[in-house]
Amino acid sequence: MEHMEWQHLVIFAAAMVLGWVSFIYFWPRLLLYAYKRAILGQGFGDGPVPVNTLYAERQAHFADPLHVPDSGSNLMNTGVNRDTLLTAGWLDLGKGPQILHVPDVAGRYYSVQFTDASKNINFAYVGKRTTGTEAGAYLITGPGWKGAVPQGVSQISSPNNSVLVVGRVFVENDRDLPTAYGLTKQIQLSPWTQP
Amino acid sequence: MTNSRSFTVLAAFFGVICGWAAIHSFFFIHTRSVASDAIQGVFAGFGLAFLTVHILANLKVTKVNGWITMFGCGLPGNGMFLRAVCSHTFLGPVNVPQEAMYWITNVDGARRGLSGEHNYIMHFPAGGLPPNNAFWSLTMGDAGNRFVANPIDRYSVSDRSGLGSNADGSVDIYIQNVAPTDRESNWLPAPSGKFNLWLRVYMPGGAILDGKYNVPPVVEVK
Repeated sequence: MEHMEWQHLVIFAAAMVLGWVSFIYFWPRLLLYAYKRAILGQGFGDGPVPVNTLYAERQAHFADPLHVPDSGSNLMNTGVNRDTLLTAGWLDLGKGPQILHVPDVAGRYYSVQFTDASKNINFAYVGKRTTGTEAGAYLITGPGWKGAVPQGVSQISSPNNSVLVVGRVFVENDRDLPTAYGLTKQIQLSPWTQP
Repeated sequence: MTNSRSFTVLAAFFGVICGWAAIHSFFFIHTRSVASDAIQGVFAGFGLAFLTVHILANLKVTKVNGWITMFGCGLPGNGMFLRAVCSHTFLGPVNVPQEAMYWITNVDGARRGLSGEHNYIMHFPAGGLPPNNAFWSLTMGDAGNRFVANPIDRYSVSDRSGLGSNADGSVDIYIQNVAPTDRESNWLPAPSGKFNLWLRVYMPGGAILDGKYNVPPVVEVK
């Protein structure tokens, strides 16, 4: 067993390639994991946000952005934003689909972004650009889900059971803030079970 | 963004680990076990991967007039390398380009660091405001990317700020610590120290998505 230098090199190189590929592959997932912890563990000033619910940024926080709620994660305030109220949540579709309800926003800009938590890619959007500004309901299903989609509801197929949801509702100015907040609160999730 | 100092330090740290592992594996080969080969190999791989992503991030960004942006983030099928680069650069979920584009800068058009010690003008030629189907905004952040307190409670300027135009239809935005005389309508208050600027364009127009729209530079007023 004196001369096994090349075996060492082979093992080292193989492990290195494995480490290299997996770090690059899993880096987005690791960074999004911080969002999962912020949402489900800490919340944004009103305690943790339960899985499969959306939390709308406080109106008072938007009105006075210099004062961030003490107890909340500051991830939602990452990047200075004076344009949109945010709503955010974390989905687990493993126990069944969710329905996203959106109100009629009367032409206002809004979007709800669905992000695959393992790849940090947005596999679907609901909002002005993609679905218009009328009221609607969307069935969000996990991978491999089979069933009948209820009438009047569009299906959004997620490639992953873990989904980060980020909603943005445009705020025209300070006077418009209560209206925008009212609409943001109406963007909601509810569980759906096959009848 | 990727040019933050902590990322650079972390990259250097990984680099040192890699270098040490490489030297160790070549010169102290007779003392090695299979487990140390595998463990050090994996860590060296992590380090190289971090460097790879960091270098790729600097290659993939689009820099125009000191402004930095990135195309292709958030899009399904964009590949594991671009996904890593986008996550690394924006540290979180980011809109697809069709939904919104973001530019950030901490330097002026001459690549000097932005600071409230100087006065700046951002000049949009007539018809040259960012094309969009939703809205655009230019938002001020201090060195730590926090909002900046100011006497008129204005934290951004945008298509709804009532910006005044010049006689030729162009628009000047005054980015400075103290209100400009007679031009307060076009004032974006800056802190006294270093700052960042964010330009956001939601539902950007075709010229932006085609890469044909150039964000004007932030120019220091001498």
